[in-house]
Amino acid sequence: MKLKNIIILLSAVALSSSCTNLDEELFDKVKDEDFGTTPKEVEALVGGAYSSLRGFNDGISISFPTCEYVFFLNEVVSDEATIPTRGQDWYDGGRYQDAQRHEWRADNGMILSAWRYCFTGIAKINSIIYQIDQSGLTEADKKPINAELKAVRAYYYYMLLDMFGNVPIITDFEDQDLPANSSRQEVYDFVETELTEAIPYLPSGIVYSKFTQNVAYSILARLYLNSEAFVGVARWQDCINACQKVSGYSLTPDYFANFITENQSSPEIILAIPYESDAGTVGNYLSSMTYHYLHRFTVSATGDYPWCGNGICAQPGVFSSFEDVDRRKSAMLAGEQINLATGSVLIMDSGAPLDYTEEIVNFTDAKQNEGVRLAKYEVKAGEKWERDHDLVIIRYAEILMMQAESYVRMGSPDLARPFLDQISERAGTETPELIDLAYIDKELLREFCFEGRRRTDNIRFGTFFEPWWEKGTTDTYRGIFPIPQVELDKNTNLVQNPGY
Amino acid sequence: MNTINHKWRLQSVMLFRILILLIMLFGMGFQVQAQEKINVSGTIYDGDGEVLPGASVIETGTSNGITTDFDGNFSLLITPGNSIEVSYIGFITQTLVIEAATSTLVITLNSDTVSLDAVELVAVGYGTMRKSDLTGAISTVSSDDLVKGVISSTEQVLQGKVAGLTVVQGTGDPSSGATLRLRGGTSLTASNNPLIVVDGIPGVDINAVQPSDIASIDVLKDASATAIYGSRGANGVIIITTKGQGAGTSVTYTGLSGVSYASNHIDMLSANQWRDYVRTNGIQDAIDFGGNTDWQKELEQTAYTQSHTLSFTNGKEDSGLRASLSFLDNEGIVQTTGLERLSANISTYQYALQKKLKFDVGLFANIDKWHPLDYRIFERAFNLNPTIPVYDQNGEFTEVGGTLYENPVEILTNRVADDKRHRLLGYFKTELEFLPDFKAVVNLSLEHNAHTGSGYKPSYAVMEGRTEGGYANKNYDEYTNMQLESYITYTKEIGDHNINAMVGYSFLENRYEGFGAQRSGFETDLFEYNNLGAGQDYRLGDVYSYKGKSNLVSLYARANYSYDSKYMFTATIRRDGSSRFGANNKWGVFPSASVAWRISSEDFMEGTSVWLNTLKLRVGYGVTGNQDGIGEYRSLSILGVGNDSYYDAASDTWKLAYSPTQNPNPDLKWESTEQTNIGLDFGLFGRITGSLEWYYKYTNDLLYTYEVPQPPYLVGTMLANVGELSNTGVELTLNANIIDGDKFTWDANLNLSHNKQVIEKLSNQVYETDIIYSGSLHGLSGFSNQFSQVIREGYPVGTFWGLQSEGLDENGAFILGSEPQKIGDVQPTLNLGLGMNFSYGNFDLGFTSYGSFGQKVLNATNMMLYDPNRLPTYNVPDDFLGSGITSSPTYSSYWVEDASFFRLQTVTLGYTFPVSGVFSNMRVYLLGENLAVFTDYSGVDPEVSTTGLANPGIDRFNSYPRPTTISFGLNLTLGK
Repeated sequence: MKLKNIIILLSAVALSSSCTNLDEELFDKVKDEDFGTTPKEVEALVGGAYSSLRGFNDGISISFPTCEYVFFLNEVVSDEATIPTRGQDWYDGGRYQDAQRHEWRADNGMILSAWRYCFTGIAKINSIIYQIDQSGLTEADKKPINAELKAVRAYYYYMLLDMFGNVPIITDFEDQDLPANSSRQEVYDFVETELTEAIPYLPSGIVYSKFTQNVAYSILARLYLNSEAFVGVARWQDCINACQKVSGYSLTPDYFANFITENQSSPEIILAIPYESDAGTVGNYLSSMTYHYLHRFTVSATGDYPWCGNGICAQPGVFSSFEDVDRRKSAMLAGEQINLATGSVLIMDSGAPLDYTEEIVNFTDAKQNEGVRLAKYEVKAGEKWERDHDLVIIRYAEILMMQAESYVRMGSPDLARPFLDQISERAGTETPELIDLAYIDKELLREFCFEGRRRTDNIRFGTFFEPWWEKGTTDTYRGIFPIPQVELDKNTNLVQNPGY
Repeated sequence: MNTINHKWRLQSVMLFRILILLIMLFGMGFQVQAQEKINVSGTIYDGDGEVLPGASVIETGTSNGITTDFDGNFSLLITPGNSIEVSYIGFITQTLVIEAATSTLVITLNSDTVSLDAVELVAVGYGTMRKSDLTGAISTVSSDDLVKGVISSTEQVLQGKVAGLTVVQGTGDPSSGATLRLRGGTSLTASNNPLIVVDGIPGVDINAVQPSDIASIDVLKDASATAIYGSRGANGVIIITTKGQGAGTSVTYTGLSGVSYASNHIDMLSANQWRDYVRTNGIQDAIDFGGNTDWQKELEQTAYTQSHTLSFTNGKEDSGLRASLSFLDNEGIVQTTGLERLSANISTYQYALQKKLKFDVGLFANIDKWHPLDYRIFERAFNLNPTIPVYDQNGEFTEVGGTLYENPVEILTNRVADDKRHRLLGYFKTELEFLPDFKAVVNLSLEHNAHTGSGYKPSYAVMEGRTEGGYANKNYDEYTNMQLESYITYTKEIGDHNINAMVGYSFLENRYEGFGAQRSGFETDLFEYNNLGAGQDYRLGDVYSYKGKSNLVSLYARANYSYDSKYMFTATIRRDGSSRFGANNKWGVFPSASVAWRISSEDFMEGTSVWLNTLKLRVGYGVTGNQDGIGEYRSLSILGVGNDSYYDAASDTWKLAYSPTQNPNPDLKWESTEQTNIGLDFGLFGRITGSLEWYYKYTNDLLYTYEVPQPPYLVGTMLANVGELSNTGVELTLNANIIDGDKFTWDANLNLSHNKQVIEKLSNQVYETDIIYSGSLHGLSGFSNQFSQVIREGYPVGTFWGLQSEGLDENGAFILGSEPQKIGDVQPTLNLGLGMNFSYGNFDLGFTSYGSFGQKVLNATNMMLYDPNRLPTYNVPDDFLGSGITSSPTYSSYWVEDASFFRLQTVTLGYTFPVSGVFSNMRVYLLGENLAVFTDYSGVDPEVSTTGLANPGIDRFNSYPRPTTISFGLNLTLGK
């Protein structure tokens, strides 16, 4: 009797223990296998490829193309910008000093930022391509979607080709093996092939911020322009041919219309990364990285402007290389700054006036006011930390300059003149009698100052390896960056770039 | 709708099953044999002639029995010729044969000679055990020994009380809470907090229970004791037993009223010192703003604190009730801060079926209110020039520009921040003795915890406010734990053999959800956070909500056998299944075994029994887990929608993109800790008791978020079970009754502990990492993305890694080594707790104290303040001027200081009035808290939080000073 009772009791307990369902129930998230079936869901997935272009701050690296640190890296190692150490501020382990002096090592955090900016985007796009593949769309529907995704991926690979050279090419999401390097030539070929194959399926005409045929040809033109620097084979005519496929754009009469807050209306922009703080976009705060801590009072009498960190500024010599008549000189802010609250010159905490000077006397212990500031994009009172202007990647002016340079390189400076005249006319300057590579180099600096592409020009013109301000001669192996040390640690199949 | 119905059905099915279970239990309890009976009644006394309430009288060989009432009386119907067994814990059981009815039986029980601790019951999880029978390492703190004073966080009652248990409170902010850490941490990622069990309910927020409601706390330290809690036991288990219902009716009031002030400051230059400096050094462009401001003091206030508790107890023979209500108003010494708590507790029990069936119902509820502080004010207070007045000529807050240079009093005054937390814990427990020696327990419980946050930054606020044009936010977060704990116990004494067994099942469902909204761009500041709709700027991410759920299902069993109270053996096993675990590892098994030998009971020890009263050796081994670090859904491949939007040119709108948020890991599982414990309990000269413990803990499958290459991985990090970590330590506890005179008594207690932690392994074939940089200094000027610590094989958590400094050279520059190396760690070599109590007649005097020795702290506050670039704009400490430092802030061993300290925690002087009549107790006392700290540390307070992985032991403007408090208290009890 007793035993029977115990058995009944135990089975009652066992009965209740059938409540052992351990499946996870999701409420505010979705499993990837449950998503991507409807056209709207597919659109939301493809949107992720575009949103990846804004970069991220994921705790491992800050990888924003606008400033920290993808932009900073490319600017500081070039001849147009610098980040001096001001007291203790902007020392940050010496990363900017090393970059300025071309003494960077594989553990420089800015280099990791750039690497991860590209490969995080590539990983994401590979997963989207995989999901589209699994989605049940027809092959015909998949074609244009895949072309677009592959074009964005090719743009990431173009940047890797430019910055790191020998990077692994990974296209298969399901391949879980740790990848090994490909050669710079292979990466070059990959970018060319992917773009060329995608072009027939890409949208034609002008679709703002989308990877269209125009965008793909523009990137191809960049690839051919730098072909000699990348893989040792000059392809100037291919560059011109690609440029001539780009159509429908024109220079804006006002150069700075490209850089106002609502710059999406510019007919000159071929590719931009859109930002809209109300839509939650993050990373667009270059203005707060350049201006002085108190600069807000020069924008608004009540100081209604975000905090500024007094960092990146023009390398000495850049400001004075612009003629005063050159309208583009306003891309830099120099001189004494007026406190709108008092109407007189703004006084810094030290008691000295805020006067942005071109000269930086001591690079490792600069004064707060030294250095001319990056003022290309519009500054408005009431702006938030996250700015709303779109980040310009490719402008029609570049298509013109690429053709001009190619003609000069091929020994036909006269053919370059019509392109250069368009540029200088808008700038309020004049194309000189003698059009040579030195002029092209300087004109590229003036036209595209602080647009994040100067390093590539410096390397193509070879000036990168010559001494300049706070830098001696640079070894040629520094024409590409080292593979970040932590990436080598994570993936033992990777081999460091030569020289590092 | 379908899924909701489905969930309801599941729940009702479960409830139905529980109901069936209960009915069956009742049914079996009713099995009483129908025979001719005689009545036996009488009274039971102890050896001193006092009546013994609660002694059990059982008709031998049957389940027929009863316990004595409050006057020691009992009455029982039995079969003539049968015997009755009279027993009470700590006393020798007597058996009498009863031939005829009697009403005058007088039985005197003699106390068991084993030892006093035999009567002490210790909560071991799913039941209690006699202390003498314990085989694991368990420390018990009774309510009398808990730390008294202004307690805003229940953890604080254990400060310095248990060897191996540290209570760290990082700041003096009453709303900041405290952290418990037992025997070193076992995890890099997961929580290192012990599991809190309140009245049998595991996983409860310790602050659901107020110190005044606690009867005792048992701290389960080794794995043989905690393995019964399986995947949640690796960090130790703290079992809180709340006050039950005493005999008779009584009303107790306890009150405390005190005043607090900041115990320490950093001595910065005063305005006149600053002027002297500027004059003497001939600094031309320094601006004297004409004021005399001590910015640290401007943030502070003299704080008044009061707490009142009223409790009511009513205990009858078969039912009882206890209710309490308490109120705490703990003002912080920084203006606007503090904690207000209103709490209530009611618990009741009811016996039925000749005390075979017992119901316990308990309810705890409290509400906390506080104003969260913007901690950035402290750095401003150090930065601001002391000649800047707080208010300008117009009576407005003085506004000064500059980075980290906003007026901190303005920030403190203009910000609105109101937070609330509600806690509710309720249980319904049924115990049925369904067969002789068998008892079934079903405990259904619910814990609910809800937090509301509200804030407003006015449009005129200096810091960030202005650009947002007023910023309001509200958020709500809650979680609910629903638990079923059901188990059956079997207890049997056969001669010298004592058997104790338990088997059980439990089910836990955790649900959490929340939402929040924020808006900026207000035309008026009048609404504060009460009208979010009036904010005109809307951004994606301004509104959010979330929800999640997890289940934990467990089966567990324990067997305990002791022979002659001399040889004891315990084995436990638990099998846990968790929805958080990956598909490949849904279930984990956690076994343990332990033995104990009471050497002093052996015949050969008779010679030493005069001075060696007890000597008991315990050895245990077990495996426990930690599943806190996983979180829900971490093993799955998931798409999320965050602020990941894209511009759609076709429609000229922004749309949301769906992107992968994590790398799936179907192998994800609990961290597993093996622990061996050897303990020795002893009693000496009838006056000293103590125990010595040695343990070795080894944690496998350590969770860490590894950086992984992309591709092939989708995102840059992966949570994986890879590493290994060990903790080795010794603990000594001593309690001494030094003098026990008629008028004068002197008690002392001391505990010492040492723990050594080593990260044994961080890599395996798949995930490799040699060195992980931690202890971020990001946010300190010039230290963006810089780290001060490493997580590295062969070193403990919180290892400072940097250049060795040999001091300053003749120019005041730091002399630094060339290669980064270990320059200290945050692990103390010794923790100490010391308390003493004296009484003379009606007076009593006591103190409690604790200390921590050998740990290093990075004084990042000084590192930043001892900066030659600061003057004249930024203020510096007095001591900077004599320091000779001429180099900019540089992280090195120069700033890594020994933070050993010894703190006089409380001193109490009390007087107990001789009372009679309606009063049964009346005591008044004076209490001083945090009266002295002995340390060489140069910062505000050496007790810097060393918990957490990211920034342990970094004093980084950690400047909410700890208060010193003087209070007056009154305890008053009416009735018996």
